[in-house]
Amino acid sequence: MSNSRRLFLKGACVAAVGASGFTLVRAKEAGKNTSKPVYKYALVHDETKCIGCDACSIACREVNQVPEGVSRLEIKREGPFGEYPNQYFRFTRHSCQQCESTPCVDVCPTGAAYKDPDTGIVSVDEWKCVGCQYCIAACPYQIRFINPITKAADKCDFCKDTRLKEGKKPACVSACPTKALTFGDITDPDSQIVKVLKSAPSYRSKLDLGTRPKVFRIASQGGEVKL
Amino acid sequence: MNPFHFDGLIWHWPIAIYLFLAGVSAGAICFAVLLKQFKLGEDAYKSGFVQAACLISPLAVFAGLGILVIDLTKPFDFWKILVFYNPRSVMSVGVAVLLIYQVALFAWLACVFKEPVLTWCQGRWSVVDKGFKALMKYEATITGLLVLLALSLGAYTGFLLSALRTYPMLNNPVLPLLFLISGISSGAAATLLGGVLLKGNPDGKEVHFIHNIEIPIILLELVLLFTFFAGLILSGGQSQVAALTAIGEGFWGWVFWGGVVVMGLSMPLALNLFMKASSKRKFSYVAMTASFSLVGVLLLRNFILYTGQMTIA
Repeated sequence: MSNSRRLFLKGACVAAVGASGFTLVRAKEAGKNTSKPVYKYALVHDETKCIGCDACSIACREVNQVPEGVSRLEIKREGPFGEYPNQYFRFTRHSCQQCESTPCVDVCPTGAAYKDPDTGIVSVDEWKCVGCQYCIAACPYQIRFINPITKAADKCDFCKDTRLKEGKKPACVSACPTKALTFGDITDPDSQIVKVLKSAPSYRSKLDLGTRPKVFRIASQGGEVKL
Repeated sequence: MNPFHFDGLIWHWPIAIYLFLAGVSAGAICFAVLLKQFKLGEDAYKSGFVQAACLISPLAVFAGLGILVIDLTKPFDFWKILVFYNPRSVMSVGVAVLLIYQVALFAWLACVFKEPVLTWCQGRWSVVDKGFKALMKYEATITGLLVLLALSLGAYTGFLLSALRTYPMLNNPVLPLLFLISGISSGAAATLLGGVLLKGNPDGKEVHFIHNIEIPIILLELVLLFTFFAGLILSGGQSQVAALTAIGEGFWGWVFWGGVVVMGLSMPLALNLFMKASSKRKFSYVAMTASFSLVGVLLLRNFILYTGQMTIA
């Protein structure tokens, strides 16, 4: 009896170590991108130029058929700050941050949330998504939502399946009247986006979480200084 | 802030019930195994407590999974979770654990109830006899695997939440252990309650055995709860904010101090110690302590789930 118990314990330990080791190794491999992406698309939102007109969010809704009640892109308004006549608002972009290290992709049980290997764009496979909402809970920027029509998780994908496919820039970028948005490939040193990023100091949201977002922001002069 | 509706709330009470039921299932089957191995042996199936645990465990895990499937936005697509796996996803690993757990669970149940089943069949189907004979050869292995899988399932419910970097209170290494231990205590309570309801002797050796394990488990649970919140508060930043929001004033503060700490942990502990001194354990005592424990764990799951989502990193 004691012999068989010891045998079982040995077997169980080997199985447990094997199973957890296998999972960890597979997880590590899944984390690595075996083939280097051809592009790494990113976006700059210049808050000094943004006037909060919502042309971007309206264009996004139209191009991507985003139903009422939910949105892939919102411009958050803070303010007004200052005394009349020198009043101003501060506008920040609320949309998918296109993280390099993606909490949503990590937690998705079916692989419906994925990072497109060619463009680096975080996307959703509508068909594979079962709607467990794990990705929505995992996103520290809280920008994912359930599309009321498809019932799948949805969010900004830089117009990957609409405008980019036609070789155009994302709808929000084209619609912006003040050219506050710059879109492009940050691996290309001659691109417009790299020039913009080098011309002014930018910041990114919640960098301490290690998600490495690819939406850069150029901070507006106004607004509160918060501790 | 409304305690059940606030910005950032993604997972609602169905998830808390699922987390609770998975814990009950894992805990109950652990106690069934322990009772059979150490107290009852081959006669285990005659005990009301073992019968209760063997009923509760599969029913709880089925009910939990049912709730989970209904809670999906695409319930009819649930099979995709079983077909596609992502090794990086805690949920994906948990689905695999749940699947194997259920197989091991039914294999073990067959081993325990071998005698009554075979008597009922009366050798009518030789396949059944052969099947049982083959199964019995591996009984020891099945038992061991079942315990390992049950412990994994109990911890998994915690890992599921602790993987969320968004919420500093949930993204906590103590959470899986806390859920495992509270799940085991809820399994003990469910076994006791179900056992006395199935006419088990409230002063039987099963009750003594379970109560002896229950006391250190409740103490351990208190230590883990303390570590959980002390750790959050000492980390500072948003973790501290999250902890103080959760156990401070307001609806959930009351649930925590009144429901979890006093009713769910202190009362069963006090009653357990008090009953030791009394000569006879009665139905009402066993049922009451078990009910307090069960409600306490259910409240703990809701408390952690809701307050965890109140503060964002």
